[in-house]
Amino acid sequence: MKRYILSACVAVLVVSMGNGLFAQSAKETPKSAPAPTAPKADTKPAATPENPEGSLDPRSKALELAGAFTNDGFKIRDGYFKGVLEPNKPVLFEVNLYAGDQYWFCAGMTPADQPARKIGVAIYDETGKKIDAELYKEDNTGAAGIVAGNSGRYYVEVTLESGPKADYCFLYAYK
Amino acid sequence: MAALAMGSATPLMQAATLTQTQKNAAIQTDTLTIPTPGEFFSAMNKQGKPNWPTLIRKPVIQNTTNRAQLALNLGTFIADGYIAIEAQDGQQVKNVGKDIISLAKALGVSQDIINRGNTINDFAENNDWSGLNEELEATENEVKLTMEKQKDTDLITLVTLGAWIRGVQAVSGIVTKSYTPSSAKLLRQPSVIHYLLSQIAKLPPRLQGNTLVIRVQDTLKATEKLVSTPLDDPVSEATVREINDKMNKLIDDISNHQEGSPAK
Repeated sequence: MKRYILSACVAVLVVSMGNGLFAQSAKETPKSAPAPTAPKADTKPAATPENPEGSLDPRSKALELAGAFTNDGFKIRDGYFKGVLEPNKPVLFEVNLYAGDQYWFCAGMTPADQPARKIGVAIYDETGKKIDAELYKEDNTGAAGIVAGNSGRYYVEVTLESGPKADYCFLYAYK
Repeated sequence: MAALAMGSATPLMQAATLTQTQKNAAIQTDTLTIPTPGEFFSAMNKQGKPNWPTLIRKPVIQNTTNRAQLALNLGTFIADGYIAIEAQDGQQVKNVGKDIISLAKALGVSQDIINRGNTINDFAENNDWSGLNEELEATENEVKLTMEKQKDTDLITLVTLGAWIRGVQAVSGIVTKSYTPSSAKLLRQPSVIHYLLSQIAKLPPRLQGNTLVIRVQDTLKATEKLVSTPLDDPVSEATVREINDKMNKLIDDISNHQEGSPAK
């Protein structure tokens, strides 16, 4: 499935997001991951009786975003988490990272209705202190990238910043 | 796979600092909280040029019907796959792929992963190392998903353990040969060990009483103490050697343990 989505991403036209990719980036920091190339346009699947609007599921949406980072050599973890993200109820994940590896943590939502959601992703070190991360945010997707300064436990927070609750998927890529 | 293991969500308010209560309530899953050997080896590659081909093992012959041992071995084979990828040895990747399928068959979970084995071969033929990295994890997760479907969830923990142990054996071996403080920092994984021990504690008594599982648990407990260094402190050279010795013995046990005999 992942292969299909990534292949499909390559096949579609690239949306020129240019500098807008990091329009909402945090301040430049030596611990930030390098900028990926621009994400691809929505790979909208054909409408089917089960999916009349031809909308992407949350995992496809998250993979679509993470797929953009693979152009820079990032590998996407096969593991992921799906759930429902609600306003004022951020979700926290525990991950273990290796010093020197670069990471992008990605979240995607595919609401069937409008308006589009805004998703925030934040990273904390094992002491619970928020880390300066490279941020990416577009309608229904959000990501945060870092180069791990130390090996050990980190926390990644996914927040629904605007819009009503909806299904979401969280995953990450590394190199 | 997301449902393999799951914690609970906790309300947060975009704070600059997390409280201990919030951290304790963070979601932990086998597929996100535990890094793959590929991530481990990727970080190791940034420390120098490890001689990955020397870390390829001789074939491990499995004559056991002990499912715990088979599951642990399956995990070590998966880590062997990542080592073969780092060594860019396509034939070895194919060999490991066959071994994984063979062990999966012995565990009764082969049906869904036969195609994965074929895909691994295709990627190996084309020297697509990045694709292999992802395919290997996908194979591991498919095996675990099948185990979950077959109500063999206990074995999932053992596969994860096997892969992690073999990964630590490989990296601690590299660091032992050419110690640097920065490379030794990669072995600082107390939270991974803590999570794995918590998963062992959830195993049914039948498996917790397995001599090999006891040996794994004891080694992990001892290793957790060794790697619980302060955030910026590297694991010492002597400690790295000690960890490597422990992992060598443990891998030997997992590979050669005979049913009915106490683990070495």
